[in-house]
Amino acid sequence: MSQKFVELVDGVRGLFVRNARFKTTSLSFNIYLPLSEETVADFALLPFILTSCSKKYPDFSKLNYKLNKLYGASLSASTEKFGDYQLLRMGISVINDEYALSEESLVNEASSLMRKLIFEPNVENGEFLECDVEREKRKAIEHIRGEVSEKRVYAKKRLIEEMYKGKPYGISKCGTEEQVAAVTGKTLYTAWQKMLKSAFIQVQVIGAQVPERFFDDIKDAFSAIEREDITDIKGTAGTSHRKNVKVVTDKMQVAQGKLVMGFSSTLYGDDDKSLPLMIATDIFGGGPYSRLFTNVREKQSLCYYCSAGSVRAKGLVTVESGVEFANAEKAEKEILAQLDAVKNGEFSDFEFESSIKSICDSLGSYDDSQNSLDLWYALKAANSEIYSPEDIAEKIKAITRKDVISAAKGIKLNTVYKLIGE
Amino acid sequence: MIKETFESSIGESYVKATLPNGLKIYILEKSEYNSVYAIYGTKYGSIDTQFEAKGERVSVPEGIAHFLEHKLFESEDGDAFTKYAKTGAYANAFTSFDRTCYLFSCSDRFEENLDILLSFVQSPYFTEATVKKEQGIIGQEIRMYDDSPSWRVMFNMLAAMYKNHPVRIDIAGTVDSIAKIDAELLYKCYNTFYNPANMFICIAGNVDSDAILKKIEASIKTDEGIEIERINEEEPEGVITSYVEQKSEVAQPMFCLGFKEAIKSPERTIKERVCTALLLAIIAGDSSPLYAELTRKGLINDEFSSEYFCGNGYASVIFDGESQNPSAVAKEIKNEIARIKDEGIDKKLFEAIRRGMYGEAIRRFNSVEAVAMQMVDCAVFGCELFDEIKYLKSVTADDVYKRLSLLEDEKSVLSVILPRSER
Repeated sequence: MSQKFVELVDGVRGLFVRNARFKTTSLSFNIYLPLSEETVADFALLPFILTSCSKKYPDFSKLNYKLNKLYGASLSASTEKFGDYQLLRMGISVINDEYALSEESLVNEASSLMRKLIFEPNVENGEFLECDVEREKRKAIEHIRGEVSEKRVYAKKRLIEEMYKGKPYGISKCGTEEQVAAVTGKTLYTAWQKMLKSAFIQVQVIGAQVPERFFDDIKDAFSAIEREDITDIKGTAGTSHRKNVKVVTDKMQVAQGKLVMGFSSTLYGDDDKSLPLMIATDIFGGGPYSRLFTNVREKQSLCYYCSAGSVRAKGLVTVESGVEFANAEKAEKEILAQLDAVKNGEFSDFEFESSIKSICDSLGSYDDSQNSLDLWYALKAANSEIYSPEDIAEKIKAITRKDVISAAKGIKLNTVYKLIGE
Repeated sequence: MIKETFESSIGESYVKATLPNGLKIYILEKSEYNSVYAIYGTKYGSIDTQFEAKGERVSVPEGIAHFLEHKLFESEDGDAFTKYAKTGAYANAFTSFDRTCYLFSCSDRFEENLDILLSFVQSPYFTEATVKKEQGIIGQEIRMYDDSPSWRVMFNMLAAMYKNHPVRIDIAGTVDSIAKIDAELLYKCYNTFYNPANMFICIAGNVDSDAILKKIEASIKTDEGIEIERINEEEPEGVITSYVEQKSEVAQPMFCLGFKEAIKSPERTIKERVCTALLLAIIAGDSSPLYAELTRKGLINDEFSSEYFCGNGYASVIFDGESQNPSAVAKEIKNEIARIKDEGIDKKLFEAIRRGMYGEAIRRFNSVEAVAMQMVDCAVFGCELFDEIKYLKSVTADDVYKRLSLLEDEKSVLSVILPRSER
């Protein structure tokens, strides 16, 4: 395994991660833009409309037919939050030529298809076509409405909204229903232009080799575009502590309650300095050896699930749990007691070592998954030095109990969200 | 031990071994990988509620296979999670309709992890106190599923489709049924279904198959397998009711349209499964004319999907998704089925989809998890790992057309979850 960067044009770089164990080649465009209420919905729709049709394949049946002919090449699209930025991801994965039943150049064809989807969409007179826009808007609105169906996901989303109200990180990554409804073929065209002009872009190839001319063709495609105001992706702010804990309760007709707690951490940033926060969170509520699992779930049976996670870039720690309404208060107290235990260093060497071993073991598997590697490097784009999963595992092995305690001490309860029955 | 090696044109090969006690072992080596995915499982799931073994006919409470899975993690000398915590492996288990699997994945210390797996699955330890505690935990899990509309829409459909087959009951059972479980019943089920002749071990990744086989041979405690006869009550060909609905906390309706297949034998062959998967892609896959039409009319979104749902004694085709108008979607699907029955299969579309599925089958060999899971399918269904790839090279549109007869309007059920009120 090796990784290599190529600067293509200003703010656009190629990354080739050489890894020949896969039967497929994976290509992805990772596009970073500022998160703002005004543009979030337009940007969020772009990956979906761009991967559903193009000038050459004006409807998605034709496009999917083409993908099938390329032996089930698969297109992916998503919109994510990357700290205080919006990350648009589009990718294609295709089996390597040697597996085709006849002689064909699958990887080259797939790579040129991917490039054309991004640079040659089906637009006319400065607008995306109404039928395409309306289709994607409807799907996005249905997706937003559908979030309420999965209570676990919904409760977490509500916590983030409330905890970061008025801040970029509080903006929903797909936008609101109203914001999506306001999108037009024209605004979407403007967003597409803005994306090509000013987004920071990382184009990733994971496989045995870079497809012929792949990076050169992208460079050529950008030669007609004037790059300006390029997004500086290093500006994610941390999360400040709140003097009084914010408590929000929603009522719904549900059988089981959800309790989600958001904590702010003084240690933050997506570089290796904040790794102790990852371990502190993991000992608190990560694996089955963690405080929350062994005490709150197993010993006291207070929750069906109860686990903690962190977003190091933001200095955010969350605890998610499914509780009986009657147990919610007791569970909340117990969760905080377990955090205090970590702060006071009241965790065993077994818990500490289990956490390090578990995280390092899972980092050791990254090289066996193209998707994991692709996401890994997309989420590291703002780091001044790019580390591989093995590099990070080495750094984690050097973390001490003292580092963990000090990280835990900087964690403070910020917002509590409860979903209870009517 | 009987040992066979299977090779394929895509550069993969695996070993299948059967021990004298009947245990089946599948190992696929990937020396260029860092990690390993290992599964120790039994052909025992939520549908095995009535059986005959050692001359005794037994009927057990619904949800007991899943309950047993939870309890097996605890042994007399501590729970399995704690043992894995010492190695850093990721461990888990799951119970489905027809199988229970215990698994781990790791990139280091594989042999220790395999020891843990082999040991705890063979060391049941149930007491009245631990059973009682688990009833509380599983009760909460059942309630969690009650709040999941995507789970409900599927089980409401199955309950409307199957009159007698236990596939109609939630995998975890009900609060009432699990209350009837005690330590004695758990031991009875364990001793019946966790016998080597009913079990399998599937491992994919950076391993040495000879060393593994030696270790497994030395670690399996039971010398002799026992025979189990699963009792399937006769299931009528028809469905109980063709429409069922429930209100829930959803923003827009969800649906699940099922077609019950009239089956003459309990198990489906690999050919039946591949042909049905191809057929579903032709009817409603994302390059089908129906998919384009339903999307154009605003009737489906990306949640729309279809599957061939089959196991011991049950088989059906399921289309599910979200829609403002589930009845209209169901009608369009039925019309499209009628049209294809009438006009035949579009050969160009068939060819593209066949290729797509061939590529998909190859792609799955990228993942040690997907390979191990597929080997479990082989153990449960009695097929071989490369059968699908081989068959996809020769299958014809006519083979697929023949499967259309399983889709009959009068054997369909539409299950719908509706929002509680207009928003």
